[in-house]
Amino acid sequence: MHEVTSRSLGHPARALHWLAGLFFGLALVFAIVAWTVGDVFFFRLGTEALIFAGLALSVDLLLGRTGLLPLGQALFFGMGAYVSALVLKNWSSSFWIAIAVALVFSAITGLIGGLIAIRSKGVYFALISFGLAQVVSKIIFNTRELGASDGMIGVPVAQIAPGLESGQPAGFFLVVLSILFILYAGLAYLMETPFGRQLGAVRTNEQRLSFLGVDPWRTKLAAFVGAACIAGVSGALYPMLRGFVSPELMFFQVSGNAVINVIVGGTGTLIGPLYGSALLTVLRSVVGSYTAHHQIVIGILFILVVIVLPRGLIGLAAPALQERLGRREGAVRTPILHADHPQ
Amino acid sequence: MSASPILQANELTVRFGHLVAVRDVSFNAQQGAITAVIGPNGAGKSTLFNLISGAIRPNAGQVMFQGREVTGLSPHQMLGQGLARSFQITNLFFELPVRENLRLAAQFLEQGRGLFRPVSASQIACKRVDELIEQFQLGPVADEMAGFLSHGEQRRLEIAVALAGRPRLLLLDEPTQGMSHSDTHRTEALIRSLVGPSLSVLLVEHDVDLVMNLSDHVVVMHQGQKLAEGPPQVVRANPAVQAAYFGESPHD
Repeated sequence: MHEVTSRSLGHPARALHWLAGLFFGLALVFAIVAWTVGDVFFFRLGTEALIFAGLALSVDLLLGRTGLLPLGQALFFGMGAYVSALVLKNWSSSFWIAIAVALVFSAITGLIGGLIAIRSKGVYFALISFGLAQVVSKIIFNTRELGASDGMIGVPVAQIAPGLESGQPAGFFLVVLSILFILYAGLAYLMETPFGRQLGAVRTNEQRLSFLGVDPWRTKLAAFVGAACIAGVSGALYPMLRGFVSPELMFFQVSGNAVINVIVGGTGTLIGPLYGSALLTVLRSVVGSYTAHHQIVIGILFILVVIVLPRGLIGLAAPALQERLGRREGAVRTPILHADHPQ
Repeated sequence: MSASPILQANELTVRFGHLVAVRDVSFNAQQGAITAVIGPNGAGKSTLFNLISGAIRPNAGQVMFQGREVTGLSPHQMLGQGLARSFQITNLFFELPVRENLRLAAQFLEQGRGLFRPVSASQIACKRVDELIEQFQLGPVADEMAGFLSHGEQRRLEIAVALAGRPRLLLLDEPTQGMSHSDTHRTEALIRSLVGPSLSVLLVEHDVDLVMNLSDHVVVMHQGQKLAEGPPQVVRANPAVQAAYFGESPHD
């Protein structure tokens, strides 16, 4: 008997699970290799890529699953980073306390931001989200107590467990990887619950959903707050890695890069944004070491992907993989459809 | 047809700028009956329908449902009151399977429970989906994307989706729109079979034959106003109705 419950809708579920396993597996292989050769630079870079992958995940929840294009998601990322830095500097060196406080702040700011932004749709939502991030980043830019344009340096390392702290490249990489896995797995689970399905329904036909007794506004607000929390937790990890925070973390550059990471990786696939972030973070760093104009390279790559692979890297790989997996087990190929592309 | 009205529209008026789309319209829909609103294009019947289903708010007047005022409630609050609607232009989740279209709709029966558990844990909703697939003969296409169905199947699914939340009053917006003759008859029988003590129907149609066969009570709209109402035979015989409606566009 066919069951709608056992199948991910609109996406080749098994292929995506497989690709998720591959991503986290590759990350572990990377950790072993880097640890063996005693590398620090690539550990730090890899950790940064995972942190920005968390931000991209939150963008995909809104863009790929709920149909809202957030152009200011860095607001919550930066908020998490500042709150985490403040906690670590002034209050406690506990990793967990810093994360918990950042989470609470993200939820509250997400709720406030959501109440403002969710009223609007389409390009208006995108611009309000952009505007909110601009306003808050400018306020922080001009607040002496928060370090103003310089930000805050000298954030102490966070104590994660006895013998484990954020200053250890390998240990912290694995901690960040675990957190990213929890965020990813949690979202992947959520998408197969009635709530997750409602998000998809909001994206494709909000009006019809409302006549089915669901309040689309509340559904979108819940997604917005959830995305703010994911971005905030990711941001909270940043000062633990780099030891500083600056207003640039909330600038459009960060929000825009997150959206690019999502689109290059594959909008709405959840795992695609992780690949996109890993790939592009490394690329930005490597190309950036040769030329200061690395944004040109990223820009051209983005244009190419949008034209040649409108469904992103994973959008290209997943259906083919699904077919292979299906053929191997004699399953029926499911037609796939994809998230709308932002225009 | 002596039961109390399930729906009362009292002196409803809707203006769009200077245009008065619906002017001072009152009528009742009886419990357990099929009430039809007919009228030529532009008569205001769709506006009236949108108004009752919560899609737009009236400038004046009120809508009473089961004795409670529901005027101006949001669409998502209407199902909670027991009102559900279908759409004239098929309005489904085309990229989702038939089954999932129905499940999204039937999830309402869970009353917010199980939102964050796997879909299969919502047993009331899943059971309702199976029931509807059976009742609407959608079994062979249950796992097809709604967008791949034939027009007739989509129209059936449209009604099934509206019914999934077990409403007390079903609002059908031109349910047989664009259907073949045989599909129309099938749908007619289906609608007839749905109506009973627990479900009343209010439909908007311009297919006069369908309305006359199917309805217990007919409200005729013309240029935003109610022209006549009554049992089908009486309405059909009404000279004003003949002039305004049947004279203009005979049985299309």
